[in-house]
Amino acid sequence: MGLIEIKNLTKKYDKKVALNNVNLNIPRGKIVGLLGKNGAGKTTLIKLINDLLTPTSGEILINGNKVGVETKKIISYLPEKTYLNTQMKVSEVITYFEDFYEDFDAQKAKKLLKDLDLDVNEHLSKMSKGMQEKVQLVLVMSRNADLYILDEPLGGVDPATRDYILDTILSNFKENASVIISTHLISDIERILDEVVFIDKGKIVLQSDADKLRKTENASIDEVFRRSFKC
Amino acid sequence: MEFTFDNNIPIYIQLLEYLKIYLISGVFKSGEKLPSVREFATTFKVNPNTMQKALSELESMKLIYTERTNGKYVTNDTKLIEKLKDEYAVALAKSYFQGMKKIGLGKADSIKYLEGIDN
Amino acid sequence: MLTKLLKYDLKYMLKNMSVFYILAIFFAITTRILFALNQTVIVKIISQISVGCLFAMLANILINTMMRSWVRFRGSIYKDEAYLTHTLPVTKNEIYDSKLIQTLIFFFVGFAIIILGLLIAYYTEERWLWLKSLIDSITTGLSIKTGTFIACTIGIIFLEVFNAIQCGFLGIIWGHQQYNNRIAFSVLYGFVAYLLSQSLVLFLTYVVGLFNPTIMDLFKNNIMLDTTAFKTLTILAIILYVIIIFIMRFICKHEFNKGVNIE
Repeated sequence: MGLIEIKNLTKKYDKKVALNNVNLNIPRGKIVGLLGKNGAGKTTLIKLINDLLTPTSGEILINGNKVGVETKKIISYLPEKTYLNTQMKVSEVITYFEDFYEDFDAQKAKKLLKDLDLDVNEHLSKMSKGMQEKVQLVLVMSRNADLYILDEPLGGVDPATRDYILDTILSNFKENASVIISTHLISDIERILDEVVFIDKGKIVLQSDADKLRKTENASIDEVFRRSFKC
Repeated sequence: MEFTFDNNIPIYIQLLEYLKIYLISGVFKSGEKLPSVREFATTFKVNPNTMQKALSELESMKLIYTERTNGKYVTNDTKLIEKLKDEYAVALAKSYFQGMKKIGLGKADSIKYLEGIDN
Repeated sequence: MLTKLLKYDLKYMLKNMSVFYILAIFFAITTRILFALNQTVIVKIISQISVGCLFAMLANILINTMMRSWVRFRGSIYKDEAYLTHTLPVTKNEIYDSKLIQTLIFFFVGFAIIILGLLIAYYTEERWLWLKSLIDSITTGLSIKTGTFIACTIGIIFLEVFNAIQCGFLGIIWGHQQYNNRIAFSVLYGFVAYLLSQSLVLFLTYVVGLFNPTIMDLFKNNIMLDTTAFKTLTILAIILYVIIIFIMRFICKHEFNKGVNIE
């Protein structure tokens, strides 16, 4: 049984079809790149898995469970948006996560914040958007989750932070856990991917082992992606 | 040390190259215990699964072996490593002579140039 | 998990409401002090300003409790914060109930502060006695106990406001089931929900009237209420509001459990 099993999933907004009959299996213990252009359906798929959208039809099973309390316990999700209540201090947000998530490691969070030069006593409202995003990433990576879902984690960060983020992802996820990274900046992250899933116009167009794809196409994932979706 | 990878070539193949050179140059000596997959992955900053794949390749080439509970070790077969070293040396020498040939120099001349270089 | 959610909801409300509480008490105190001073023209003017501020703050407490509850409901369930709210390992029922209880508690606190503010500003023994005799004259006229009368009055106001708040929640839930013009639809559906709840009250009153001629008379004639009818009606109103509130809560949860679509 895969970690995520998606069957015939369709999502329509009013009349616009965002996902069209998607079937997808995500195994355990893999770092999976969910790759597609802006508006291809990456975020829609991720939001459906996280109960932020209701499917028009189809089924999502995570660890055999339908989306709900049980799946939320094991998924650590980083959205594109900054979602924390900015009236709170960083330390209060840490307590908040400790309160709600049994798998949250506050010590790890504090260590990561220190590495990134973020002050736990600061109010989120006093931080720049970039800093708030880093705080969110720290919170998400400080959980011992079975599944991490990171939606565009590298959008707008400097190369040094990007490397730190990739290292954090690599060194923090436990065995048998999986990571889904959605991005359109493929070249930055492709070295850490096990598997790639190409999504376009609401459909999954390819799922493959990353190195296998490099070998058969004799090119980088980025290059393969560009060839497939030439404008 | 920073390891750079070319995204156009499967990462595990590039890791394999790094590892082979470690063995040839004696960074890891014959019979020595190797770091764990996770440790290696952290050093190279790659996915542990990819690291595992590279090590499996190395194992299928008999250059390393797994002791069921203790981890991975460099082969005791020194001849095998010597052979690998020889292959690399031959390949490097060949590419040197090919390069010299391109600029019109024969073998004898090429060797003279080599002797003229003191490390 | 409900208690944890509630803890943070209450903290948020307290953070945002306490300024009004403090100001209300502050103006109550200044009002009292100013009226105790020698009433020169200037003092008179200032004390009138103080009275104005006091009543503005008291009104503010009610309006803000209501608005904040709605804003908070929409904010944490449908805006950016929803990304956190809906990914917490809690049920939708817990999320909903936490908001409802939070509102309930802050209405109690609000009422308490209003009464406290009025007492601070205006309490004297004569006024107290005057108020008492006023209430007594009503209660003897209706031949009920003073305590019951006050409890019923506050109870009905409270239930009415509470029902209105919950109708607002339902409006927001229905409004956000749309993909466009969500705020406009929220307001519209809020009114629809309120009308729905009021029609339910009317309908249920009518149903009760079928069995109780005193109540039926309400629909038939424009007569003044006699004391028994008043009592029956009061009790009926309280029971009906409680029922309506539970029905609305059921509808809200049912609609909410259909899931959300966050932008």
